[in-house]
Amino acid sequence: MSMTGAQGRIGYEGQEKDNPEPPPDPNTGSDATDAAPTEQPASWFLRAREMNLGLKLAPVAIALLGLGLFLYYRSLGLGTTAPSSQTSALEWSTKLWPQLTQHLTIAFWSTIIVVVIAIPLGIALTREPLRRYGPAFVSTANAGQALPAYGLLIIFLTLMGQGLTTVVVALAVYALLPVLRNTMVGLDGVDRGIIEAGRGMGMTRGQVLTRIELPLAVPVILAGIRVAMILNIGMATLAFLIGGGGLGVTISVGLKLQQNEVLLVGSTLVAIVALSFDWVGAVAEKYLRPRGV
Amino acid sequence: MNSILEWFGYVAERYDDILETTWEHAQLVLVVIGVATTVAVLLGVYVQRRPTLRAMSLSITGIFLTIPSLAFFAFFIPVFGIGNRPAIVAMILYALLPILRNTVTGLDAVPPAVVESAKGMGMGTMRQLFQIKLPLAWPIMMAGVRIASLITVGIAAIAVLVGGDGLGSYIQSGLTRLGLPNSEFSVWTGVVFTVLLGLVLDAMWATIQRFTTTKGQRI
Amino acid sequence: MSPDAKIRLDHVEKTYPGTKVPAVESLSLEVYEGEILVLVGPSGCGKSTTLRLINRMIEPTGGRIYLDDEDVTKVNADKLRRRIGYVIQQIGLFPHQTIAQNIATVPKMLGWDKAKVAERIDRLLTVVGLDPDTYRDRYPKELSGGQAQRVGVARALGADPEIMLMDEPFGAIDPITRDRLQNEFLSVQEDLRKTIVFVTHDIDEAIKMGDRIAILGDRSHIRQIDTPERILAFPVDDFVRDFIGEGSTLKGLHFETVDEHVTLEPYPTMHVGEDPTAAVARAREAGTDWVLLLDDQEHPTRWVPVSDLGGGSTVSSDSGSEVVAKVSLGATLFEALEQMLISEAAVSPVVREDGSFYGVVRLTHLNKAIRRARLEAREHYAQLEATS
Ligand SMILES: Nc1ncnc2c1ncn2[C@@H]1O[C@H](COP(=O)(O)OP(=O)(O)OP(=O)(O)O)[C@@H](O)[C@H]1O
Ligand SMILES: [Mg+2]
Repeated sequence: MSMTGAQGRIGYEGQEKDNPEPPPDPNTGSDATDAAPTEQPASWFLRAREMNLGLKLAPVAIALLGLGLFLYYRSLGLGTTAPSSQTSALEWSTKLWPQLTQHLTIAFWSTIIVVVIAIPLGIALTREPLRRYGPAFVSTANAGQALPAYGLLIIFLTLMGQGLTTVVVALAVYALLPVLRNTMVGLDGVDRGIIEAGRGMGMTRGQVLTRIELPLAVPVILAGIRVAMILNIGMATLAFLIGGGGLGVTISVGLKLQQNEVLLVGSTLVAIVALSFDWVGAVAEKYLRPRGV
Repeated sequence: MNSILEWFGYVAERYDDILETTWEHAQLVLVVIGVATTVAVLLGVYVQRRPTLRAMSLSITGIFLTIPSLAFFAFFIPVFGIGNRPAIVAMILYALLPILRNTVTGLDAVPPAVVESAKGMGMGTMRQLFQIKLPLAWPIMMAGVRIASLITVGIAAIAVLVGGDGLGSYIQSGLTRLGLPNSEFSVWTGVVFTVLLGLVLDAMWATIQRFTTTKGQRI
Repeated sequence: MSPDAKIRLDHVEKTYPGTKVPAVESLSLEVYEGEILVLVGPSGCGKSTTLRLINRMIEPTGGRIYLDDEDVTKVNADKLRRRIGYVIQQIGLFPHQTIAQNIATVPKMLGWDKAKVAERIDRLLTVVGLDPDTYRDRYPKELSGGQAQRVGVARALGADPEIMLMDEPFGAIDPITRDRLQNEFLSVQEDLRKTIVFVTHDIDEAIKMGDRIAILGDRSHIRQIDTPERILAFPVDDFVRDFIGEGSTLKGLHFETVDEHVTLEPYPTMHVGEDPTAAVARAREAGTDWVLLLDDQEHPTRWVPVSDLGGGSTVSSDSGSEVVAKVSLGATLFEALEQMLISEAAVSPVVREDGSFYGVVRLTHLNKAIRRARLEAREHYAQLEATS
């Protein structure tokens, strides 16, 4: 993909969840000739609607899935009419609940690691003298989307052996690139004039970074973190392959026993978890966006 | 260094089988991208100027992309059974959002003045779409296809877990034989060829994009 | 060296990395306390580079920079910039901060206490003509372009710097708003008396804003530096002449006013109801065929031809022609010329503030004034040459 935009800036092509363009200014008076909106206002209006609808639609989907799962789970007749293998695979307190907490633990820690590494790295790669390596990282981040999560996990298994640590590290590596890329794109997207003004008033580089660039890049960085979180929740589903547990265990049991009931319960539960956290992420994005932007 | 050379040896020995498996993998991806592009472009053209439908279709396809792949594949097993089919269906649904999103943003980016002047010259709706809007939106749409293709290549490696084909089989056989000779090479083969396939397909889309974009729009 | 040089550049040089030709070559320049020095020149000649060297947004590759005779070439650049206001074309308001927070940026960095900062914000908003209560808590996106630039100026004035650097501050604003902002800024400057370096590529803006203008050529070479009057009256070479373009004489008329300096002529007048014979005699004596009719408040009302005044009868109120063009005392010669062009004759009555008749201004007056300005400028440059 072509990664370099005008003026050596790091361009990137529309990944779905990122909206780095500023909205057009609805309050601009008639004598405003500067800040000509680069995009047509109509599309931003539509996009804002999309976000709002997404925020409303997701809880509905989650609630429907949850209700469906609950009713389905009850109808299975676990412990009575259901086969004993099914009953033991789907037991809430000994199987599903521990798997769920394991799943979330894995996703949580790997996301934390990603944030702790990718954001400082992204900052460093947008400063002199590392700046010129930035575009290479963004290209890698894009190509990295083709990296098979499955294979990466096994490679880490061969390197680090079985266990939770391996899973967490593998996931962190996999989800690093989106956050790194968004941090760089977000920081790079801050208008040069704003930075120039800050420097011109005698702000140090550090002050410009912490008071101007980072706050303004928050929406894009958050979008990256949200993507990473979803990737991690998804990849935690594969943790069972290397003895890491998680809800993937139930799915694999379903596959092994060829029992659709087990499969459905496991995968629906995973879907609910992912959708819920994605929704939380979307809400956070909406409310952590700096005012005035 | 040594082990890299050994891996080359491993690959050279199984050259035919690896290429065949890569081709299987590529076929999965091409089918998925073909169907997803058709559906997403038609949908995108239809919903672009219909705010509610547009928001709905983007949200719903967004939900698809959020669901973890193994779970999504597993969803379709009760319907389609074990094999490539549940994976293909799930991957089509995954690939919708990037293409749909870029189709609508691409159409949004067509300057209203251009459409206006086309109308002024008496072009009908279809003619405007095919002669003006789609060609202008094409580069952005293709960017969406490329993202979808990259994602699909990576995810298709999981198809093997639900009984499908593709390079995931090298990863899986490595995993099941872990500790035995060549098992790690097998895993690496799966990973490296998947990424290579992703890059080759991406280059292919880029070339197609180049030759299907009018000169006036090339940068 | 002039004792009141606030900013002094001494053979300053800037060669950007990776380029061979310097963007600024051996530039020596003084900016006097309280003046607006305008840097003007063709695109790419190095105006912005020069300006940014002063607050060390870019580091010079040679030469020295002095503020108040203090060598600031090597002092801490961040601290230096907090002493200097800086306004740019893109304005660069911080979008995530309110107008008040934007203006408070430098005062806060300097550790001012809260009450003082709050008071300062309101003062500055008032100074730039924005109502503090309305605008204090707005975000930049809720401002028009013109308002945003006012806030930009207010922010640059934040900690009351003695020096302001302005890089095409009104460049991105529509002509009408720009004109208003320029006027407001000049009247603010009248009180504040900051030392200002102002960059523009628009010669008219330079003429309007500058106490002095430096016309820059390639590599920021000073082709001419002087007051606008003198530059207009005496461009030193073809480069400068081309740059100020057509109509420099006309533009020069902006700098001369209709007052004691332009010797005005008396003119035969008469009041309504007065005996015309005396007036006719006065007209004869002055060598004209017209008399200016004044009303009882001494306002000039009509031009009356002497031929209408025969027969000794009083003047009828509709004889002659109405006075359509008047110039007030203190107006510029440019305005005077405009009035003369409107009127039938190449002459226009000059009135005092209360509208009473003072004298007349003629085309020949303008002519003389222009020649005098040119002569003065030429003598000035001859003298300069002689002393150097
Ligand atoms: N960061 C930079 N790196 C290299 N060259 C530069 C840089 N900035 C400016 N230049 C070059 O230095 C010269 C002077 O540029 P400068 O921006 O000072 O011109 P200017 O007079 O302000 O022009 P304009 O009226 O267009 O703003 C130009 O030739 C420009 O190309
Ligand atoms: Mg400039």
